Amino acid sequence: MTLALSEIDEVLEEPQRRAYYVYGVAAKTPDMSGLKGVQEAGVHALPAGDLAVVVSLIDLDRPPRSRSDLLAHSAVLDTLARSGPVIPVQFGSVLADLDSVESDLLRARGEEFRSLLTELEGRTQFVMRASYREGVVLREVVAGDQRIADLRMRTRSLPEAASYADRVRLGELVSRAVEEKRASDAEGLLAEVLPLTVASSPRAGSGMDHVINIALLVDNDRISALEETLEDLAGAAHERMTIRLLGPMAPYDFVGDPGGLVD
Amino acid sequence: MTVQTSQRRSGGGYLDRPASSGLADVIDIILDKGMVIDVYVRVSLVGIEILTIDARIVIASVDTYLRFAEATNRLDLYERGGKDLFDALGETSERTSSGKVSGAIKGVKEAITGGDEEEEEEEEEQEERRRPAKKAPAPQRTGNR
Repeated sequence: MTLALSEIDEVLEEPQRRAYYVYGVAAKTPDMSGLKGVQEAGVHALPAGDLAVVVSLIDLDRPPRSRSDLLAHSAVLDTLARSGPVIPVQFGSVLADLDSVESDLLRARGEEFRSLLTELEGRTQFVMRASYREGVVLREVVAGDQRIADLRMRTRSLPEAASYADRVRLGELVSRAVEEKRASDAEGLLAEVLPLTVASSPRAGSGMDHVINIALLVDNDRISALEETLEDLAGAAHERMTIRLLGPMAPYDFVGDPGGLVD
Repeated sequence: MTVQTSQRRSGGGYLDRPASSGLADVIDIILDKGMVIDVYVRVSLVGIEILTIDARIVIASVDTYLRFAEATNRLDLYERGGKDLFDALGETSERTSSGKVSGAIKGVKEAITGGDEEEEEEEEEQEERRRPAKKAPAPQRTGNR
């Protein structure tokens, strides 16, 4: 496994405080021309056998963490993912030099990367988020529990200071009721969606409107089926919730476990 | 009206398919995700991590219960019945949910990530390998109602 000499020559001339920002590892050498990466730097694919490490040479004195760097990281990876399988590396990962790229990354983990890339071939990640229309769901909760309706009547007519304990109790009951609805609504959505996916990975969600936030890995030939199913679900549920589908995007959620993504 | 909004967004359907991801979505998508490799330097994103965790903790706190209670008590504003009900509901609930809860969290994330050039110039420190995390400023709770 060797890095292309032309690339090495080019980069050795760079000043000392520069290093390699790593976006990810791809299965073949992708076309990087015209892509702008973090710090507006050019994006290079360092070919190494059947793999390619996608990097930008960056200025270490000004580490990338601005809004545009975050956007560039995801834009580079999502672009790569459109032309073939890619393993996204966590944002902000910087290697010192080409030796590290070759020894720490490719030699140490080449086999792992190859098998992961094979699993990701022909598959695409999406993120699905469902959110309640808050007012609708809260009305359901009030209508569905007499204790909540009573507490609400009582706390509404009292000054805040005089009803503190009751308001905490009300909020707790409402929060639990919403949680139960959430569990059952999420289950209903997943029953329709998961059969169309290869793998899924729940993501953190918060807020009272949160129903589900989940990453989905889909075979490319099932994407339109997924879109149609979600369109139907969104139409059927639109009075109570909204459903968003983000993607296609690089498989950020399906490269973390060394054990592989398919059971 | 909510129904029209979602129709516009997705070109005829109810499924919301944003054409490109905004900063909040991108942070959400890439934060803590991706392959972890041995690195020389890991650029610090500690501020964002802390805020995300903070947003998760808040879910089970008294503050959250009070927010739920407040939202529930606001309901009488649109308990009018009749044909207008759904319209009023849809509009108000959308404003409430995106503006108040998730909006606040997104706002905090954006504030910390910064993005204007001035802030970028100031953030010159970087986290060398295994250096303990710098403590981020506590998130401000914005009481926008």
